[in-house]
Amino acid sequence: MPITFQKLTHEYNAGTPFSYLALDHIDLNLQEGKITAIIGETGSGKSTLVQHLNALLLPTEGSLKILDREISASEKPKHLKSLRKHVGLVFQFPEYQLFEETIAKDIAFGPKNFGASEEEALQRAKDVITLVGLDESYLERSPFELSGGQKRRVAIAGILAMDPDILVLDEPAAGLDPQGAKEMMELFVRLHTEFHKTIFIVTHDMEHVLRYCDEVVVMDHGHVKTTCSVSSFFQDPSILKEMGIHPPAVVSLRESLREVGFEIDASILTMEQLAQAVAKEVGHHE
Amino acid sequence: MEKIKLENLHFSYNQETPVIKNVSLSIEEGTYTTIIGHNGSGKSTIAKLMIGLLEAQSGSIIIDRLPLDEAHIHDIRNRIGIVFQNPDNQFIGATVADDIAFGLENHQVPSEQMQNIIETYAKKVSMSKFLNSEPTKLSGGQKQRVAIAGVLAMKPQIIIFDEATSMLDPQGKAEINALIQEIHREENLTMISITHDIEEVAHSDHVIVLDQGQIVMEGKPEDVLMHDQKLIELSLDIPNALKFQKELWKQGVKLSPCITMEKVVEEVCQLRFKN
Repeated sequence: MPITFQKLTHEYNAGTPFSYLALDHIDLNLQEGKITAIIGETGSGKSTLVQHLNALLLPTEGSLKILDREISASEKPKHLKSLRKHVGLVFQFPEYQLFEETIAKDIAFGPKNFGASEEEALQRAKDVITLVGLDESYLERSPFELSGGQKRRVAIAGILAMDPDILVLDEPAAGLDPQGAKEMMELFVRLHTEFHKTIFIVTHDMEHVLRYCDEVVVMDHGHVKTTCSVSSFFQDPSILKEMGIHPPAVVSLRESLREVGFEIDASILTMEQLAQAVAKEVGHHE
Repeated sequence: MEKIKLENLHFSYNQETPVIKNVSLSIEEGTYTTIIGHNGSGKSTIAKLMIGLLEAQSGSIIIDRLPLDEAHIHDIRNRIGIVFQNPDNQFIGATVADDIAFGLENHQVPSEQMQNIIETYAKKVSMSKFLNSEPTKLSGGQKQRVAIAGVLAMKPQIIIFDEATSMLDPQGKAEINALIQEIHREENLTMISITHDIEEVAHSDHVIVLDQGQIVMEGKPEDVLMHDQKLIELSLDIPNALKFQKELWKQGVKLSPCITMEKVVEEVCQLRFKN
């Protein structure tokens, strides 16, 4: 079942001199069962958009259909707790939100809030710690002894412990080194392929969009500028250029080669295909 | 001339696990050196040793022919500027102009000269329009530009960038890398950049690779970055240009080794022309 935004508007501090229109009558269909990237400049409405997915923010106009419920501005929403169990939201730099004495307790906090017994919650902690690439020996350690990348894994494990169907991540790889970022993105791909989670990732990194995501939503000044598959998005780099976003390396190399006269198909999206096309053209004149 | 020289440097935080093991290196005046290595390899510790924030257990540091010791530390610090990782932690002023002025005020630069210096360096980093802006109105990349202007205004001879782009988005990263290269072209400064960004390394004069507190590779980027297997073993990235060349090689097309995309495009054009 798709997630549908209907004329959804979000205005911060509505009716005050500080009001700010972050989302302006958005119509958008998001598919379940995919990895979707939400991109756009700082201030374009990306984070506001995703915070509606678990009703952390409520629309000030319009409505949102997600899972089996409808959230609209006109009606006071009920039973948000169960929606929040199904839609897990991971903020930017989630490692700053760790607070418990041990990693086990930190991860178990969420499930306990949703009614799991102490035992069940600790079992969940055991299940998810290995999923994020740490072993069980970490469970009794303090979360504050860990490196930045490890802390972030623990914070994500805390969300996974609630076993959400939909996982929403705001800049999950920001500030990690290249190896850490790669491992983080591969974790989400695994959650998607093995555990069939629907995943939304807010990101600035076009290499990640190209390599790991299926669909892309481009936000611009509170509007949806475009939404399409990742492969068709990178065929036409004009939107990227217009928005001042750096294309992935393979796309910028492809475009540079086209500019100097190589006849290369705009659908090429891997270094391997690009090398084949170049080899063909260089070889033609032999 | 040798601007920085480290000899047989040893350092550990707790006397047990060494963080820097027998590191010797020399950096020539006016060059742009990058230092890479995965997290915990000792990169940032070396920077802290160079500016005297940490003290080595043994070995020596010579900067501008002066030994880094108590007698010379102030003299040496006046010659070195440093730009840190987090743009929010180093914005001190209430506005961009205040922030650039901070170091100058500390050095008692007369206020009639100050305005001129602030404007010169704000212009240099393309922030002239923002002199009266508050930090909350700026992007991460813009804040780092201001930090760089503040450092340049002090007229240092050496600038250290300690992961100055790692918290920025790709646009901010590209902006700051371009600015670093521009400063390198225009000023006779010795620049050291501690970085994770392999594309930045490809544009430097000299690269030092650290692993577990030791130098494991060193030289010109075009020589060092060619050892792609070794880089992968060290959990480091390899440049995109090199990834592409390897794919070309599989197709039977051999380019002369190059590590930047600009050069790759040039090389394939030449190859097409020759054939």
